[in-house]
Amino acid sequence: MPTDTRRISGPEISHSPYDYCLTPPIDLIGADKKRLDGRLPAQLRPLFLRAGVISQARGSGYIEVDQTKVICAVYGPREVLRREDFSLKGQLTCDFKFTTFSCRLRRQHQQDNQEKDLSVQLLEALEPAVCLQKYPKSQINIYVTVLQNDGSALSAAIICASLALASAGIEMYDLVLASSVAMRDALTIVDPTEREEEAVLNKTHKAELNAGSMTVAFLPSINQVSAISSDGEILCETLTKSMRLCVENCLKLYPVLQQALVKHRLDKQADTS
Amino acid sequence: MTDVDLSEAEKTFILHSMQDNFREDGRGCEDFRHMEVETGLISNTNGSARVRLASTDILVGVKVQLVPVDPNKPNVGRIEFFLDCSANATPAFEGRGGEGLASEITAMLTRAYSCPSAIDYPSLCVLPGQQCWLLYIDVLLLECGGNLFDAVSIAVKSALFNLRIPNVTMTKDEGGIELDVSDDPFDFKRLDVAGAPIIVTVNKIGHFHVVDASEKEEVCSLARLMLGITEKGTVTAMKKEGSGSLDTDSISEMIESAKKVGVELNKCLLNILMTEEGQEVKPVGFLR
Repeated sequence: MPTDTRRISGPEISHSPYDYCLTPPIDLIGADKKRLDGRLPAQLRPLFLRAGVISQARGSGYIEVDQTKVICAVYGPREVLRREDFSLKGQLTCDFKFTTFSCRLRRQHQQDNQEKDLSVQLLEALEPAVCLQKYPKSQINIYVTVLQNDGSALSAAIICASLALASAGIEMYDLVLASSVAMRDALTIVDPTEREEEAVLNKTHKAELNAGSMTVAFLPSINQVSAISSDGEILCETLTKSMRLCVENCLKLYPVLQQALVKHRLDKQADTS
Repeated sequence: MTDVDLSEAEKTFILHSMQDNFREDGRGCEDFRHMEVETGLISNTNGSARVRLASTDILVGVKVQLVPVDPNKPNVGRIEFFLDCSANATPAFEGRGGEGLASEITAMLTRAYSCPSAIDYPSLCVLPGQQCWLLYIDVLLLECGGNLFDAVSIAVKSALFNLRIPNVTMTKDEGGIELDVSDDPFDFKRLDVAGAPIIVTVNKIGHFHVVDASEKEEVCSLARLMLGITEKGTVTAMKKEGSGSLDTDSISEMIESAKKVGVELNKCLLNILMTEEGQEVKPVGFLR
């Protein structure tokens, strides 16, 4: 590449200033038994849900869990483009993307490994809920974009995508709900923020056996877990206990999702009449 | 994965025999198939291992390289996983065909090894704040015969056990610190892999939870749980795979059975590797 002599060329590799400020280890709960943002360990963040935010998509959803904001669009069912992908069962594709400015550190435009992994996890969570046998030879595309990430992005994405699928009129066995927890030693906190997620995963001393986070996706009316994933080192007993806690929290969110869906239908009816 | 076409009758056969607590090859639900492990068979690597689990064949080579440290974590070394699905295993992997599977396996391995107690990361740091070792762990999939994730993780752990990192001498002169990597093949240090996890996949077939499923059994299972289990019985990563869903009770049962199998497997593997180390055996390699 020809160099421009009038410009001062910067270094080839650059680092974010955040790389050099080492975050000191934080306590998950303070002396008043409250978390950094003033919540109790078992307290969820306030949630806002709306369907039908993208007019050109077949179905769409928007979710806000305090500072975590996710938007999702569903297109299809449409014809499978490649002939070799033909199947009698419908195909579901998921595309999970953080916007470049959504996290503390800037992300790249291209989908990185973490986003690919999250796409697969999202697909695993939604696939059991969709009646794919009703959509032969066709595909349904789900696009999830995280606008702002303040922890528990995967569970927000799952809820948002299931709302978008339902609002698109895709036949489903049940709505999918999701919930996350973070654990450290004997403490379990629900719906962790980004700082809390980071704090449990970036533990520095080896002595702690129990430190990690977990996300569970749940289908309430058939009482089944459609996806479960964990990070960090966790004891088996804690894992089982946290899973049940996640399921409980999912059930708390069920009416919110139902209400958002009903509101969307009523709005649509009011528009047409 | 490779195409296994099973007729409904064959699936029913596997499901029904499972109800009578028999698997198609006569194993119990928590039994592994016969496994062969060999380490140090590729001379150009710093550590290598080959695992053959029934007909699943995995080859792992580890190469080390000195790189600048990650400014976020100035006192630890790094590892990176790469997986190549050879088209030898199945024509479906030709070109970019194996990419999806490869990224799934590497993502699971990365997650399982991301906890600080998996391997001794601080020992991989050469000069805090400046230089550390980066381990390139390259996995080659030569044949698929079911239970890939488990076999790959066993092969990776064996290769890390076999790893020989050259010693580095540091001399201080006016220009800064000079690093000198020893080229003596007997001047090396080893890595402690006691805490490294092994992935255990528990398949749900009918009402039963089965480990080390063969290819045919994998076709019959709608949902499986993968867990990275350490020697101590802790879980370093977990995920569910497959198009089906699971209920909470069976998940906790599956976790229990994975823990039981994983702890035992870790113990056996380390024993075998230690004994192999002690005796001077000629490498068998690919000739059997």
